[in-house]
Amino acid sequence: MWLPFIGLLVGLLLGLFTDFRVPDEYSSYLSIAVLAALDTLFGGIRAHLENKFDEKVFLTGFFTNILLAAGLAFLGVHLGVDLYLAAVFAFGVRLFHNIALIRRTLLDKWFSKEKRPAKTKEDN
Amino acid sequence: MKDRMIIFTCVTTIIGFMIAVQFQTTKEPEIRDTRNLLELRQDLTSEKERQAELNLEIEKQMELLFQLQQTEDVEEVMTNAISELRERAGLTEVSGQGIVIEVTPIFDENYSSGPIRSVPAYLVRMLINELNINGAKEIAVGNQRIVSTTPIREANGVTLINSSRMAQFPLEIKVISDDPEGLHHAMMSSRSKEFFAYENLSLESTPINYVKLPSYDKALRVRYMETVKEES
Repeated sequence: MWLPFIGLLVGLLLGLFTDFRVPDEYSSYLSIAVLAALDTLFGGIRAHLENKFDEKVFLTGFFTNILLAAGLAFLGVHLGVDLYLAAVFAFGVRLFHNIALIRRTLLDKWFSKEKRPAKTKEDN
Repeated sequence: MKDRMIIFTCVTTIIGFMIAVQFQTTKEPEIRDTRNLLELRQDLTSEKERQAELNLEIEKQMELLFQLQQTEDVEEVMTNAISELRERAGLTEVSGQGIVIEVTPIFDENYSSGPIRSVPAYLVRMLINELNINGAKEIAVGNQRIVSTTPIREANGVTLINSSRMAQFPLEIKVISDDPEGLHHAMMSSRSKEFFAYENLSLESTPINYVKLPSYDKALRVRYMETVKEES
């Protein structure tokens, strides 16, 4: 359960200590890629909670979403349209949606856990 | 289940790395001191000069304070101080040795443009800068005294100095200087002479023993300054 958090920490520390920087003009691509990655991650967590998780779908979704988002931003820059805003909007909405669903699922689980012992007491 | 956790871990590691890189990229880059020895020395010298100037100023103010404390007649000392300040601000007429620069249009035979109405504002600015570089103490363009807040701008093709129209040709620029000869030679070989020539204007300077500059007659607008309340 704690493994993903440890992974996040390791990634953060790795990034901070390697002093790796992206040129300023590419930082918008990276930010959109981060957003896409977060979206996929929360989608994965949701699928996991709903017992619909599929490794292949998750992994391919992760990488294609990142690439697609960065590609869309790149295309937008070259077309002179702020296409990355479209990606930000789409990912933002999905992120909130996924988080809301995760919250509901967790709440449901929590309450069903609380109620079950109460019910058993009543039964007894 | 275990595979799933490993996948999640990999993904979160990648996300963490990306966030860290993004954070470092958007973070303000540290400003490094990249001056070499020569530049450091120059900066040090200029700071020392500044310090000397400030010390001189402090000394002067201390002397004034001392005078104020010593004399019974405070009023006189204060009047003197005020008149000195007024003089420094350019609110009084001043006279002394200096140079007079005369600007006139020149029309050579190939001249084909329209009439020349006034000296462009950028040339006036350039001339004033060069005069100040070469040791001018007080400057007046036409009838307008140049003080530290004098605006020189262009509106509808007319150059305005102190918000009033610049005098017509021949334009006289009066300058007071401690070394009129030196200033005269500096101006005659200056870059502004060349730039005036590009605009079909000739610049003639003559050193003079006595020149009188008008006072600044507009209201002085003071921004960014407040009176200091005396600590009691």
